[in-house]
Amino acid sequence: MKFKKYVAAIGTALALGFSGHTPAFSNEDGPILVVSGPLSWPFFAAVKKGFDDGAEIFDIDYQYIAVTDTSNMTSDYPRLLQQAISRNPRMLLVGEFFPDGMDPLIKEATAAGIPVLIHNSGQTLWEQNGSIGFVGEDPYQMGFKAGQIQADGGVAVGLCFNQVPGNPTVEERCNGYVAAMKEAGKETIYQTIGTGDATNPQAMTQAIKGSLQANPQIDGIYTLNAVPAMSALRAVEEVGRKGEIMVGTADLSNEALLAIQSGDLAFAMDQQPYLQGFMSMQIAYQYLNFRLHPIGHVKTGPLVIDSSNVEETLRVNKEHAGVRGAS
Amino acid sequence: MLKNYMRRPEAGAFAAFVLTYIFFALATPGTGFVSINGTAGWLNLAAELGIVAIPVGLLMISGEFDLSIGSTVGAASMILALGTNQFGMPIWPMIALALCAGALIGLVNGLAVVKTKLPSFIVTLATNFIVIGATMGISRLIANVTSSSIVTSDSAKFVFAARWEQANISILWWLLVAFIGYRVLSRSVFGNWIYATGGNLDAARGAGVPVQRVKITLFVATGVAAALVGILQGIQWNSGNATYGMGYVFQAPIVVVIGGVLLTGGYGSVTGIVLGTALFGVISSGIFYTGWNTDWIQLFLGLLLGIAVLANNYVRRLALTSR
Repeated sequence: MKFKKYVAAIGTALALGFSGHTPAFSNEDGPILVVSGPLSWPFFAAVKKGFDDGAEIFDIDYQYIAVTDTSNMTSDYPRLLQQAISRNPRMLLVGEFFPDGMDPLIKEATAAGIPVLIHNSGQTLWEQNGSIGFVGEDPYQMGFKAGQIQADGGVAVGLCFNQVPGNPTVEERCNGYVAAMKEAGKETIYQTIGTGDATNPQAMTQAIKGSLQANPQIDGIYTLNAVPAMSALRAVEEVGRKGEIMVGTADLSNEALLAIQSGDLAFAMDQQPYLQGFMSMQIAYQYLNFRLHPIGHVKTGPLVIDSSNVEETLRVNKEHAGVRGAS
Repeated sequence: MLKNYMRRPEAGAFAAFVLTYIFFALATPGTGFVSINGTAGWLNLAAELGIVAIPVGLLMISGEFDLSIGSTVGAASMILALGTNQFGMPIWPMIALALCAGALIGLVNGLAVVKTKLPSFIVTLATNFIVIGATMGISRLIANVTSSSIVTSDSAKFVFAARWEQANISILWWLLVAFIGYRVLSRSVFGNWIYATGGNLDAARGAGVPVQRVKITLFVATGVAAALVGILQGIQWNSGNATYGMGYVFQAPIVVVIGGVLLTGGYGSVTGIVLGTALFGVISSGIFYTGWNTDWIQLFLGLLLGIAVLANNYVRRLALTSR
């Protein structure tokens, strides 16, 4: 792709006959930069797949910027965004995960005339900070939907298990879940785990098992990622209450889909991460070339995956690895 | 008699373990924390950490750190996942490959540390990033994912993920590694070399101890143990994930220190490390049985670490003065 552009540039230069006139490309010179989530998470791997596919189809060069060490994201992301803005990009596609640090920077960028498009997180902020739009879903609404499903399913006391306390986007899911359960007159318990154990399925199993033992009236669990969902299923089995506790999760994995198929897991909420990347790239292309863009929210979720549509999802997941954010 | 026991490196850890266990037994009435299933729970948790904590502890006794264990665990699980799922390989050769990869990472760490004489804290921290980055990059190139299912066999499932009631086979692996560690450290010449290397490097070298070989061997053992944990976790959860084990980077040194090993090297025991790990398992699963607000768990762990280090310091002073 780079090569093609280079050739095109030479072609232009030849056509101008080396007249010394610089073509008015100054607006096109900066890079297209994407500041998005860590690629170690299958979820953002799917977002990047969407960006990559979009970039290929629309013949766009772009650079994906993300942290590799997830222990300090609250301060790392504003720093990454600052660096991206200082490169004077042609367009900035940002996941606004940590608004306190990132929102002032986005305002600076839009004030300086850099077009900004938000994806994944930042659904309540994009209209105020001068961005051209938002592609993604509302984590609060995702949690709310999960709470509604569990309340309708007869859950009386629901446990929201947050494996990454301190991440405001993820916490919103628990907030939504709690609100929906409360609205239906149900009780909820909020549980977190030490930050070092966020990727240790055994530690999460024992944590959930402990909570189930301490609060035997819990009959519903909502996890915020597919890995803890598997831990929750194991914990339910270990306390001997399989079939009595309704387990549902945000996000997908192949294991989670198989568990839905076998009936152990009630549902998984898909926010279709691939679409967040792909549609951002599509909007970038149309905005940069034609100044066109969708008006308002582009919603990519939640899509509820349960026994009714799990077969089809599993098939897609097998044929197109990484697209569903589940592997 | 009592004073003799007090002088042992594991004395502080033993006392802390007993007190903590009694505390949680009393604080969680009727929740089954002390039942067989509750015990299996914290042992499962401790076992996976314990397998890697023992060689890390021996390494710390010899005066070196290894922070690359975290990414080695994830890399091993991804080797199983990519090999069996993407390339359709049988599981056993991939297990061997994962162990070799662990040994190779350890060898690179060991050579880098003894040849450059840089602090192992920095060298292995760098390796930790290099390995997780390489794991993710290669996984994405091959399969466009950073976590993937593992296709396993019944024999592998039995060896690495068998369960009796709720106790995982990883507990037996932990005991095996602890036994080997104990034999090596306390009943072999190599064990004396480890103490000598960490106690006084120059004196050890002067006395003819092959200090470089000691360190490199321990780095390799640590890499293999980390890979073993990755294999255990991967097969148990049917899934490889590049981020498995990242919590161990600091949890392993923590339990080693709780177990009475000195950060400066030269002092410690395998029994102490095992007790420190068990203590960590009791706290990190016990706190959830209390039903308390779970936001406090890390505060609790931090306090305990502080107390354990103070107690160990006291015990060590006893050991050095009244001989």
